[in-house]
Amino acid sequence: MVDEGLKIELGKQGVFVTTIEELYNWGRKSSIWPMQFGLACCAIEMIATTMARYDLARFGAEVFRPSPRQADMMIISGTVTKKMAPQVVRLYNQMAEPKYVIAMGACAISGGPFKQGYNVLKGIDRYIPVDVHIPGCPPRPEALLQAFMTLQKKIEAQHLTGAGRPRHLDAEGQGEFPVPVQGEHDLEPTSNKGVWPLPVIIR
Amino acid sequence: MLGEGILKGLAETAKNFVGSFFSAERMTTVEYPEERIAPIEAARVFPFLVYDGIEWDAGLRCVACQICEKECPPKCIFIEKSKDKKPDAVGKPQFYPTRFDIDISVCMSCQICVEVCPFEAIKMDNVFELSTDDRFDGLLLDRKQLAKPNAYYHQIHPTEAAVVEARLAADRAKSDAKQTAAAIASAIKGAERPLPPPTTGGD
Repeated sequence: MVDEGLKIELGKQGVFVTTIEELYNWGRKSSIWPMQFGLACCAIEMIATTMARYDLARFGAEVFRPSPRQADMMIISGTVTKKMAPQVVRLYNQMAEPKYVIAMGACAISGGPFKQGYNVLKGIDRYIPVDVHIPGCPPRPEALLQAFMTLQKKIEAQHLTGAGRPRHLDAEGQGEFPVPVQGEHDLEPTSNKGVWPLPVIIR
Repeated sequence: MLGEGILKGLAETAKNFVGSFFSAERMTTVEYPEERIAPIEAARVFPFLVYDGIEWDAGLRCVACQICEKECPPKCIFIEKSKDKKPDAVGKPQFYPTRFDIDISVCMSCQICVEVCPFEAIKMDNVFELSTDDRFDGLLLDRKQLAKPNAYYHQIHPTEAAVVEARLAADRAKSDAKQTAAAIASAIKGAERPLPPPTTGGD
């Protein structure tokens, strides 16, 4: 690993030093193409974020791809009903690695105002791993930009080897998640135990 | 005429494009992390608890009456009332919340908690940069994270805070006047006849 001070010093002399890891992560974080996919009112804020006023393109996420095959990131923007949940998981499965998920707004994180209802999924992270959560109802476009930067920081900090390496560099990493089916009363299974461990919070 | 609207729209876009070379006003993009749109005074995101004085722990206005907890539509507030009373900012013994949690992953920013609070203890904040990759700890704010000084409230909502302050001052003046009147009345009574026998039990 090259020392940060030494790197700056070398840079002044016209020598550019980097590591494969840094270069790889820089490439990964600077071209995250989101999927063109909105579920409810948060999608309106997502659309506003891509427009000229906020301009998500400044972060390298200019093109919203209408196909999951060409997208890197899924912004779950809005209420995930139990009817829609299998489709969301299927779309996620169809995306190519590396892929990221941002859960935008109260509904996508936890069900939000519909939490006590019977027909809304209480958080998409029951079925697919979520990288960044944005609270808010709906979050401001700036909040989505901030979440995007949080995701970029997260990607930047990832090591390419070791236990915390990205899933697509892990030979045993599983990029496909079981799609729930409509059961008699609820979705079956009600959650994917692999990505939704029971939380233990001690305060 | 067919296509008239499109031409008008394109003319507008062209005007902005050419104009952006001559006037800064035509530059629509606000480059978020470096520059920000000034927050509108009535903008709101999540609630916070107001405290008087310097110490957040001693000055919390909340007396744990739990009205907001009951009224919250998505039930995102959790309060534990204290067993004992302790003096508040003006020295009157009051109950206080031993726990006051707001689950911002559920909160829908409806402001109903603010409207029902009889003690002006909970107000709406305008901080929106809360996105996190920590689903549980990162999205559950406890009373320490929620407590913010009265000066902060005046800073973010000046007009609203001035109205609230005037109302609180009027209430305080009224209760002070009542107390003084009661003290004078009891003093006169005490002077007229000897001390009454001590009463026992309730009123």
